Amino acid sequence: MNDEDELLAAELAFGLIAGEERRAAEARADIDPPFADAVARWQAHAAALVGAGEAPRPSIWAAIEARLPANDTAPRRDSGRWRTVAIAASLLAGVMTVVAVERRPATPPPAVRLAPAPPLVAMLSGAPGKGVVAVSFDPRARRLTFAATAFDPGRHSAELWVIPADKKPRSLGVIDTTAPRTELSRGDAAAAVAPGVTLAVSIEPIGGSPTGLPTGPVVLSGTVQKS
Amino acid sequence: MIAAGPPETRASLNAALQQVAQGDRLAFEEVYRRTSAKLFGVCLRILPDRTQAEEALQEAYLSVWQRAAQFDAARGTAMTWLISLTRNRAIDRLRAGGRHVAAPIEAASDVHDDKPDGLAMAEMAEDERRLAGCMGGLEARDAVFLRTAFFDGASYPELAERSGLPLATLKSRIRRALLKLRDCLA
Repeated sequence: MNDEDELLAAELAFGLIAGEERRAAEARADIDPPFADAVARWQAHAAALVGAGEAPRPSIWAAIEARLPANDTAPRRDSGRWRTVAIAASLLAGVMTVVAVERRPATPPPAVRLAPAPPLVAMLSGAPGKGVVAVSFDPRARRLTFAATAFDPGRHSAELWVIPADKKPRSLGVIDTTAPRTELSRGDAAAAVAPGVTLAVSIEPIGGSPTGLPTGPVVLSGTVQKS
Repeated sequence: MIAAGPPETRASLNAALQQVAQGDRLAFEEVYRRTSAKLFGVCLRILPDRTQAEEALQEAYLSVWQRAAQFDAARGTAMTWLISLTRNRAIDRLRAGGRHVAAPIEAASDVHDDKPDGLAMAEMAEDERRLAGCMGGLEARDAVFLRTAFFDGASYPELAERSGLPLATLKSRIRRALLKLRDCLA
């Protein structure tokens, strides 16, 4: 990279240029990968000016959490780590093969443990070739397990909804379509999951629907059954 | 690429941020837990008071939630991305706050750039140490210019005004310093 470009990248990273000049450099970074790499390199250099910092008050996190778009119907209060990935044995056996797609090599492979058979299941499907999402739900433990196959919402989030008899969708949260996951569910949404009830997946903006109801197309659906 | 911590830490923060892009709120909490001290530090250095720094920090993390999908792990680390985002939000807030009186930058002979002492250097992360070492190789005034640009959001014209140097002279000085920095860091 020549000196002129190197300097422009550095000037952008340090904030030395402003206004139209800055916008032009940012636009260039969008279309010129070596230049964008140089900007990223200089941003890392500039970032090294920042020291260790200082921990903010706990109430700051609470304020941030409160301002996130709501896709839970009940507030989360505990931050217990339930980061286990479990695939229900009954879900796998004879139903489908779940391919855990590792999109990012830096991520360690999920630890797959076989959990006890959950009582309620649903297979959500839509148009052929659109993929499927298998869902199992343990109402006692309020554990929801989902596994997506051949389903990629692209630059959107896939959100899971339960639609009980009153026809009002309630969110069970955004689902991870790259690897099978188990989550705890709470509140009205979880309580509504019962045999005969419809589950559906809609395509939403990243992070889930900002409104609490589906804003995008419903692409998969299925009925909850006892397993 | 400059490291921001040992490789395993970097990789998992990158991964956590990518999970945030999927709407994973626990991953978001993890990102917060691991980065909020540093990002709050950014806000505190940029904004004049604590209350504003706290507001800016909240806005930064809300931006993180909304824009995590824009993070490209192939291009840089999560921490650099987070710091850049936070700095941008804080500078926006600083500018939106209306007139703020920017202190003059002293003449060459008066400038003292705070160089970290040996103990402080030992406690720094590797990338910070490298940068501090290379900044130490610059003329003190030029190091001050670069810090001021980063933390005050002062671009070339503002730096020229605050230092009393003609714009062209100032740009020339800073560009020479940047090239020297590049050579030192390479």
